[in-house]
Amino acid sequence: MQLLKQTRQYQSDLAGYCRTGILQHIPGIHTSNVVHYRKLVMNVVDDILQNAYPLTYDLLSETEWDSLVADFFSEHSCKSPQVWYMPKELMEYVIDTDHALLKQYPLLCNLLQFEWMETAMFMMQDIPVVHTRNGDLLFSKLVLNPEHRLMALDYPVHRKNPSAIKPEDQQPYYLAAHRDEEGQIIFTELSPALVRVIEHLQERAASIQELYQLIEQDFGIQLAEADHLAIIHFLQQAYREGLIKGFSPA
Amino acid sequence: MVGIGYRKDFSEEFLNSDILSPAFIEVAPENWLGVGGYWKKQFHQALERYPLFTHGLSLSIGSPDELDFQFLANVKAFLKETGAVLYSEHLSYAKCDNAHLYDLLPIPFTEDAVKHVAERIRKVQDFLEQKIAIEIVSYYTPVAPELTEINFINTILQEADCELLLDVNNVYVNAFNHRYHAKQFIEQLDLNRVRYIHMAGHEQVSDSLIIDTHGEAIIDPVYDLFEHTLELLGRDVPVLLERDFNIPEMEALQAEISRLSAIKENVLKRTAHAIA
Ligand SMILES: [Fe+2]
Repeated sequence: MQLLKQTRQYQSDLAGYCRTGILQHIPGIHTSNVVHYRKLVMNVVDDILQNAYPLTYDLLSETEWDSLVADFFSEHSCKSPQVWYMPKELMEYVIDTDHALLKQYPLLCNLLQFEWMETAMFMMQDIPVVHTRNGDLLFSKLVLNPEHRLMALDYPVHRKNPSAIKPEDQQPYYLAAHRDEEGQIIFTELSPALVRVIEHLQERAASIQELYQLIEQDFGIQLAEADHLAIIHFLQQAYREGLIKGFSPA
Repeated sequence: MVGIGYRKDFSEEFLNSDILSPAFIEVAPENWLGVGGYWKKQFHQALERYPLFTHGLSLSIGSPDELDFQFLANVKAFLKETGAVLYSEHLSYAKCDNAHLYDLLPIPFTEDAVKHVAERIRKVQDFLEQKIAIEIVSYYTPVAPELTEINFINTILQEADCELLLDVNNVYVNAFNHRYHAKQFIEQLDLNRVRYIHMAGHEQVSDSLIIDTHGEAIIDPVYDLFEHTLELLGRDVPVLLERDFNIPEMEALQAEISRLSAIKENVLKRTAHAIA
């Protein structure tokens, strides 16, 4: 290590100033110009976070948002070399530190997770999967789109404007998020049984008949005709929207 | 060759018309590493048509922190995958105390920093198995300086045995902010090491300060400095037009590219005659 302790300290002081706004004495520094570094740094961070969390930004007051961003950037050391990935660290910071805003906005955690999910999935690497478009939804083995995630929420942030969500809206909600052919992210609300359908398809391709049996085993029930129709209807829509990618090649 | 910084902001317009015709494109690997879906498709379309130059943001060559070799391995794979012509980075630091800052901070102009940075550049070059081009950045304040800027830069270039990315606008900005002569500064650089040139616009925020925004068109004095630089170089070097914010119509960007190409052709013709 060639760097002297003193030089290292000055670098740390400048970086610390950008993060906190607290300026230590650094020899030779132009105090009127150094403020631009803090401004530039905080502008980038604020801009990236606003873009990643537009709903959160709308929900919070300006003061709340500004102090959240300031707290985050000064207290948390951003690990990602890729700035587009940095918003994930804000979500983790709020959850891990049990941030004071969570008391005022119990749904905040879900909102951040929901918004980050969209960015993360929009950007995620492609995952190829062997499948064919030649098949029959009712008889062939269905292949799930691997570019999907399941999520469980306590508040309906996927359905309602966050400011209109009431405490009585709290209940379990299940979502599948997937990326379609065009690269757009589609969220689908699922019942507990449909969550199991997806989970079974995550393990391996299966036909509708096999899925009926698996669900009956999972829940210890006998599916009625109406249940069959509901599952078929869901799978048809999932196929149209690309959550079901296609069929297992024979 | 005059290229353009390829940005998501104008990707569609760029790819769907032929108004803008750069000789190559430049990206920051950080913005495209590990990215799939829509942006990957767009990026691949661009790669099919144009050679790629890369200009990193987060390596933080001047940082007191350890080099991030995991990240560097990802960059190396990216360079290979995309067939990138070159990899360049900034003579600055963007990470400190294990925290990324997503901006370019000035390194103290000190002897120990010279040794430290030169050693790191050598390590990076060894790891990547290629030379890298290091860019002189704009800066708004010196930090505990012991050496002159020119001395700091030239010694690093020599000790690291790396290439130089000469951002002509940055030199103009620094000369204005720190009151020296831009032309003299360029004359004192080790010009044999220039591998790549950047050109950009900036914003003057007060009587004594210019901020390097990349959000405006290139101004005439920077074109003059560019011409002077090419005369000194007397050889062909790839030139990039950087425009990161406040993106204008494609026609306006093309006009800047054309002007840069014309200046370059003229100077090269003149210097060729002078030699012949
Ligand atoms: Fe540059």
